[in-house]
Amino acid sequence: MKKFLTAIVAMASTTCALAQEAPTSPLEISGSVDTYFKYDFAKQPNIKTSFASDHNSVSLGMIDLVLKKRTGKASFVGELSFGPRGQSQSIPNAAEDVSSFHIQNLYVNYDFTDKFSMTAGYMGTFIGYEVISPVGNFNYSTSYLFTNGPFQNAGIKATYKFSDKVSLMAGLFNDWNVYTATRGVSSVGGQLMVSPVEGWTAYLNVLSGAGSGGYGTIEDLTTSYQISKAFKLGLNAANYDIDNDGGGYAGVALYPQFAVADAVTLGLRGEYFKYKEVAGVAGDKYTAVTFTANIKSGGLTFIPEVRLDHSGNKPFVKENGLAAPNAGQFSLAAVYAF
Amino acid sequence: MRYTFLLIISFFSITLFAQQKQFATDDNGKFIYYKVVDSQKVSKAMIIQRAKNFVAAQKKAIKIVTATDSSISAKGTLIIDKTVLVVGHPSGEVTYHLTIEARNEKYRFWLTDFEFIPYQRDRYGNFVAVTTIGTPLEKKVDKLTTGQWKDIQATAYAKVEKFGESLKAYLAKDDSVKKQNKPVETISTKTW
Repeated sequence: MKKFLTAIVAMASTTCALAQEAPTSPLEISGSVDTYFKYDFAKQPNIKTSFASDHNSVSLGMIDLVLKKRTGKASFVGELSFGPRGQSQSIPNAAEDVSSFHIQNLYVNYDFTDKFSMTAGYMGTFIGYEVISPVGNFNYSTSYLFTNGPFQNAGIKATYKFSDKVSLMAGLFNDWNVYTATRGVSSVGGQLMVSPVEGWTAYLNVLSGAGSGGYGTIEDLTTSYQISKAFKLGLNAANYDIDNDGGGYAGVALYPQFAVADAVTLGLRGEYFKYKEVAGVAGDKYTAVTFTANIKSGGLTFIPEVRLDHSGNKPFVKENGLAAPNAGQFSLAAVYAF
Repeated sequence: MRYTFLLIISFFSITLFAQQKQFATDDNGKFIYYKVVDSQKVSKAMIIQRAKNFVAAQKKAIKIVTATDSSISAKGTLIIDKTVLVVGHPSGEVTYHLTIEARNEKYRFWLTDFEFIPYQRDRYGNFVAVTTIGTPLEKKVDKLTTGQWKDIQATAYAKVEKFGESLKAYLAKDDSVKKQNKPVETISTKTW
């Protein structure tokens, strides 16, 4: 073990010395702001997935600021968000009046070689298709898979790139969505990236350890294929089992998108999702269909969206407050990326 | 008052002139950056060797497709930045096809087949390609994206022009004269 650590330190020192000769990149600053109006057909907040939660209100998403800098082979990323989407709505344990901002990414990275790199800090999760930043999603509302999965993982990970078509990541992580581990560095995770043909990328992800609801394991497939200039197809499928019959979830979502003009793309998200049985009690099952358009002009994207959800267990409400199997909403969001 | 008027007119003339600096089009209507260079006493073989060295020095950005004793064909990528003053970030990349043809004492090179691939910030805050299918840089786009597309074309031209200058400078450089490492100067403060 001692010899191994000495070898790693020696290798790192040599590479550090070489890295000092490499050029420094200027500081990168980027980010986004987003705002939305949502109208729920039941005239009250009804669909319980993340973000776009306010009914009949022009509401805020977040302002997101990202800093990145590279010096030789070392780099850092710091991403801070302010506003409901990046604050209380994306940290499950945060109180709105206590936390004034949220760290989305805060990590350092070192490229030991062109193929091997290591990253440590607090990072956007490698699990799932959708992300917290509205710039990274096609739909403005989010899927059940996104809402129930991890948002961020703090930890240390190593990535080896075999080629442009295959890479492997393995890491040790804290429990989900926390700056400080509450149960120690308790999770192990891995990601295999394969790109069988040009335009098609698939990520096979596993995360096992302390998570939402207890110790458990998520297996996740996230893939997208740019089939033609105009047509893109995405898929996310995941299964989460919590130990000792603690439940979990399983689901699949399909994301076909079709560009009808340079500035206009139409897309659909079809999702099936179910919570697993806990102590003999069956969980709710959901199907959801979301029609979304992205209309771009420069850095601005308008996102009109209609969403229809169904669940046989009647978890939704009607306008009069009675339980209902169906829910629907319309939203119009504006996202500016810079 | 006349002075002010003249100043305004000349300012706009300079601005318009600056805007005119853009790609020429070839026989097929594609954007092209084309240069013929008089290389004076440099032989054809030497020009090709230097061109190969130039590509090898940028192996991450340019890859040779074919090479003969008088020509090189390569594919490359230039990163397009969105910059305001000193800060910014990559907004996309332009792929291109580079051809270099040499004769004794002169050569020509051209870049064409420009395609733009936009970048988007990923979940880790890094800018990555949104798609693998590029849009030809000469394509006419619809009204909503015209302004942004013109900026991309202008930035691409500036990058290609800079690339062309660096290629010319490299091919004009005599590699046979090896740089000698200067010994590091030692300054003694004991005597003065």
